[in-house]
Amino acid sequence: MTVDSLITETASRLFAEQCTHSAIQLAEAEGGAPGIWSAFAETGFPWISLPEEAGGSGGTLLDALEVLRLVGYYAAPIPAAETGILGGWLLASAGLELPEGIVTVAPGSRADTLMIDGDGNASGSVHNVPWGRHAERLAIVRDGLVASIPVAGAHVEHATSLAGEPRDTLTFTNASSDRAAAPAGVDEESLRFRGALSRVALMAGAIEKMSQLTVSYTNEREQFGRPVAKFQAVQQHLVWASQDAALARMAAESAGRQANRGDARFEIASSKLVVNQAATRATKACHQAHGAMGMTQEYELHHSSRRLWAWRSEYGGVREWSNWVGDAAIEAGADGLYPLITGGSNL
Amino acid sequence: MRFTPTELTIDERALQLEVREFLAAELPPGSHEPGLGMSARSDRAFSKKMADRGWVGMALPKEWGGSDKKAVDRFIVVEEMLRWGAPVGYHWVADRQTGSVINKFGNDEQRERFLPSICRGEIGFSIGMSEPDSGSDLASVSTKADRDDGGWILNGTKIWTSSAHTNDWFICLVRTTPVEPGGNKREGLSQVLIDLKNTEGLELSPIPFLNGEHHFNEVSFHDVFVPDENVVGQAGMGWNQNTTEMAYERGGPDRWLSPFSTVEQLLRETQGGDLERPVVELFGELTARWWALRNLSLSVARLIDDGDAPSVESSLVKEMGTRFELEVIEKLVELVDHELVSESESLFQRLLAQCVLTGPGNTIRGGTIEILRSVAAKGLQGLPA
Ligand SMILES: Cc1cc2nc3c(=O)[nH]c(=O)nc-3n(C[C@H](O)[C@H](O)[C@H](O)COP(=O)(O)OP(=O)(O)OC[C@H]3O[C@@H](n4cnc5c(N)ncnc54)[C@H](O)[C@@H]3O)c2cc1C
Repeated sequence: MTVDSLITETASRLFAEQCTHSAIQLAEAEGGAPGIWSAFAETGFPWISLPEEAGGSGGTLLDALEVLRLVGYYAAPIPAAETGILGGWLLASAGLELPEGIVTVAPGSRADTLMIDGDGNASGSVHNVPWGRHAERLAIVRDGLVASIPVAGAHVEHATSLAGEPRDTLTFTNASSDRAAAPAGVDEESLRFRGALSRVALMAGAIEKMSQLTVSYTNEREQFGRPVAKFQAVQQHLVWASQDAALARMAAESAGRQANRGDARFEIASSKLVVNQAATRATKACHQAHGAMGMTQEYELHHSSRRLWAWRSEYGGVREWSNWVGDAAIEAGADGLYPLITGGSNL
Repeated sequence: MRFTPTELTIDERALQLEVREFLAAELPPGSHEPGLGMSARSDRAFSKKMADRGWVGMALPKEWGGSDKKAVDRFIVVEEMLRWGAPVGYHWVADRQTGSVINKFGNDEQRERFLPSICRGEIGFSIGMSEPDSGSDLASVSTKADRDDGGWILNGTKIWTSSAHTNDWFICLVRTTPVEPGGNKREGLSQVLIDLKNTEGLELSPIPFLNGEHHFNEVSFHDVFVPDENVVGQAGMGWNQNTTEMAYERGGPDRWLSPFSTVEQLLRETQGGDLERPVVELFGELTARWWALRNLSLSVARLIDDGDAPSVESSLVKEMGTRFELEVIEKLVELVDHELVSESESLFQRLLAQCVLTGPGNTIRGGTIEILRSVAAKGLQGLPA
């Protein structure tokens, strides 16, 4: 199973054109980028992997993850994951209507108080909701049901991620929702794994972009009469960042392939863990190689690095996923450990 | 630079299963002292058993005793052997590189002489690159070969030669044409084959490892005669041949699996107990990293089979893999948090003691990580932004 190369080409072209340095900057100042979103939505990209009968764009999960990788690469300030493989997926799999606008999900916070009563009325708050203020619907899965709640009536409190992207608090008071039974395999746990998989794809793109940016910057910046990339100490940063870019992309694509086939919990957990750590190492190396320039708003490194700092903590950090994979390793036992590494979820 | 994910085919998975069954029957856990990856013991009988299965020199042509298999097939066999800590030391170098060098650059007479016995697991090779004054700067080697009737007369010293005392043959990089002042050091080098056991004027002395183990040797040549039929490929082209040889050395499972048997044994010894969270987290972290690294390394083997020469990719994997090995060892030491004893009752602790003592060599052997970074950095400069 491979990605249609037309998707890569078209999405790259679109993002390269739309997601200029100043456009991303503006999106942050204004809390969103409606222009970029509508150009993106026009192509049908947000709904890739959702079945056409349900109002989606068809295609595979791998195609959708490739688009997310490019969203990460170009730092596109849009809720692509939420509208597509997270919220859109919840709605479509339960047979609920896909709205024309943005769908978002509640990633799950300890402070959440949202309850849905027997009549489908929702009350309470959800936190850190990506692009909450721009969403048409909030998709929720719990207790065997998927609910689609209109956001229009909610009280919205603005908050932002480290990358300056909206992560809002939505408070509902007796908001009526549409509900339908969640089919097998659609539950809180599977949403959490999908959320992690979406972040892994985004991060793989961002690390690659950041590492390429660092190679070109250090080849242009001269000190002591030559490009700083000629210094071995700087080359070390370049090599380490490009290793992490390769490691992250390999992890993301391997997990994506398995998720496209079926149970991929081992691969997703492992990839989120590995990519979180790669993001931490690579942002450190790339910032170091840029000197003070990397610390400015004027230069574009922060579009990638700040997103990585945000995404590495979303849908589970190193602690959560190392516990998950560690439990799997212990369950596999000494004789099963290497077969787990080579066979993963197929074991 | 691009690493494309790849998966094992049905045939490849069948091979993996066959290797696992072989190991479970030959070396059931508890029946042998596992080694640390490629530093495992030399055991001729075991090499022979592997060869009987067709797993030594498997990528060499059938015509010369090999199996015409692919790099990925060899990857599968090797990763299972290494993670098991199987005693692959005797045939290791011949299987990984020397067989391929002789096949690629040698003549039919040399192929006939060496390849069938390599594939039967009956001949062990050592590598003669380093010298007392030539480490990272390998092109500066000064072992000198002077022209003589029907061959060359060798004088000089090779150093850090792994297992020269247990192996049979030696492939050496020597200078057959002196460098002119201002000339190119990479020209005038040649690769020659020398019998370690029956060569007059060859002197072998051990250089004990820091823990007393006999691994390294110094091999010196005093007017050693090397007949022309023992020169591999074209005299003077040794540098290019040697560079190709080093590409076979890099990026494979031997560069990231050394402490695996130690971690597996830790799991065996803690199984059934109530593990503290930091231990669980460590198992998780290592498992996930091995999963991702293996996918990268496997993709390099697939690239080779597709006809690519992924030298930047394999340098990146080797640099990253060997640093990971040291990270694993550091984390295990932190976890144990008390003194290690080489004679411990616990196999895990014996292995970890060995890891600590030999680990620093992992990021040096086969080209240091600093040199690998220079190679990789050059490859990266061509990247589009
Ligand atoms: C376990 C083990 C087994 C070995 N087995 C064999 C064998 O069988 N046959 C054989 O021929 N050799 C063998 N070697 C030797 C090995 O190939 C050399 O150790 C290696 O190439 C480095 O050379 P050196 O030790 O002389 O270090 P040096 O080259 O002296 O390097 C010392 C330090 O300087 C750094 N350095 C040197 N030049 C540069 C540069 N240009 N840029 C940045 N840093 C630099 C190095 O990275 C290193 O950190 C073995 C080594 C080990 C540890």
